[in-house]
Amino acid sequence: MIFDSYEAYRQAGFKPKVCILGSGPAGTTIARKLGAAGIPVVVLEAGSREFSDESQDFYRGKTVGDFYFDLDITRLRFMGGSSNHWAGWCRVLDSQDFEPKAWAPDTGWPISRADIEPYLGEVHDILELPDFRPDVPVSDDIRWVQLIKSPAVRFGEKFADELDKNKNIAVVLNTYATELIGDGRRVTGAKLWSNGQDAGTFTADYFVTCTGGLENSRLLLWSNERSNGGVVPNAAALGRYWMEHPTFQGGNAILANYSEFEVDASNEAFFSPTLVAMERLQIMNFGIRLIESPYPNVKKLIADLACTAPNMAEWMSTQLDQRLRCAAQLYVAWEQAPLASNQIELSKTDVDHAGVPRIELHWKKSPLERRTLLEGLRLFGTTLAQKNLGRVRIDEWISNGGDYPTNEETAGHHHMGGIRMGTDVLKSVVDANCKVHGMDNLYVGGSSVFCTSGQCNPTTTITALACRLGEHLSKVIAV
Amino acid sequence: MSRFISKMSRRAIVQALIALPALSLFRNQAAPANPGEIDPDEIVEINGWILRRSDLA
Repeated sequence: MIFDSYEAYRQAGFKPKVCILGSGPAGTTIARKLGAAGIPVVVLEAGSREFSDESQDFYRGKTVGDFYFDLDITRLRFMGGSSNHWAGWCRVLDSQDFEPKAWAPDTGWPISRADIEPYLGEVHDILELPDFRPDVPVSDDIRWVQLIKSPAVRFGEKFADELDKNKNIAVVLNTYATELIGDGRRVTGAKLWSNGQDAGTFTADYFVTCTGGLENSRLLLWSNERSNGGVVPNAAALGRYWMEHPTFQGGNAILANYSEFEVDASNEAFFSPTLVAMERLQIMNFGIRLIESPYPNVKKLIADLACTAPNMAEWMSTQLDQRLRCAAQLYVAWEQAPLASNQIELSKTDVDHAGVPRIELHWKKSPLERRTLLEGLRLFGTTLAQKNLGRVRIDEWISNGGDYPTNEETAGHHHMGGIRMGTDVLKSVVDANCKVHGMDNLYVGGSSVFCTSGQCNPTTTITALACRLGEHLSKVIAV
Repeated sequence: MSRFISKMSRRAIVQALIALPALSLFRNQAAPANPGEIDPDEIVEINGWILRRSDLA
């Protein structure tokens, strides 16, 4: 059932067991799992069926530190959440992403990839994916990896009909949970805001916050402040260890044979380091994306090479005569080192229309990441040269330690961490089942729980974790 | 320095200036003890390019 207002929902007399906040990939997936298990669940969606400037305005905020996107641009507040502007890239975090790394503090998850693998079949159905191909080693240091460009499922569109027909699920639009109320053991209710005014307090046996990788932290920080620690009793890490995937053009490559690597429908290919290389160089994970260069750029590149290696350039220009595709731009996206200082705070001066403090995001890239960018490109360039697959030129600002450009992509719009999973209550907020430490009935869905980010886009892993949480909750409630 | 330059012929100065850009090629390369020991497969990084030493021939 889908209700356009909280008032309409209330009149229907639906009695939910579970309340999910947010209808993005995590919220919708968990609701479908619970609904399929016969558990009545309500999904409170702050926005409407369509985008509106009024709704989006609730997402305004401020960033302190490195340049970042406006916070009301980098996510969406309507049915389906940020899946509505998702590009569709899919890959699950690597096994090595779950493991602690001695050279990067606060890495490692309390679960392994094997814990989410049983759900990948469901994920493939939800995201409409073919099976993933195994990685292909290019050298001891570099592997070809597959990122699948999926149809970019818009969860609100794809599942609206199914949600509407499911008698166990009620989706309530235009209903914003401004605050959870807790007593240090349980969430006892949620304060609601609907149609521009307070809509009272809502109760359910279980609450799952799936409001996104920025908003989950904001909601719990504000709720905890209002409940004097009654919502997140162990709040040392709340809002902290926030991560993105910084993304920049890092250089170019001239390729001896472009078809040496399997490319996708867009003629793009992806490469990542092996764990051995990461350990040796003490760097984070990264992904290098090969994007075919336009012809004029290739000529400039060969002219540049001619100044350094004339014979090589001559050979390359012969290649150019024979092949249309022989050069690529290299985009690098990398894993951020988890840092407690990268955190979401509540603004002390700015509130939204419902009176909830807006986000102040503190975000900086670290020297370890800068080294990951440079050494990653060197690793890839060395592999291509050693195997005679091509030659790489690293952009000058990277080689010379210049500032990050501000006119580029900057990051992936991937909001991760803030409510990380773990066993240490000083460094995590939820346990391996995504339950808030010390609370009996409060769970968190989405990329907020990520301990590390790996190098790939998060939606596939978010959806797998949501399937896992949905199944776990079904079992907990059935007992 | 200026006395040194004044004693150089104009031809020598022009030849030195022409050779200057090429010096950057060798900035990051240690001089081999014996030219016979040069490894053509050695990976070198010059002007941002990651190359085999043999590429420089």
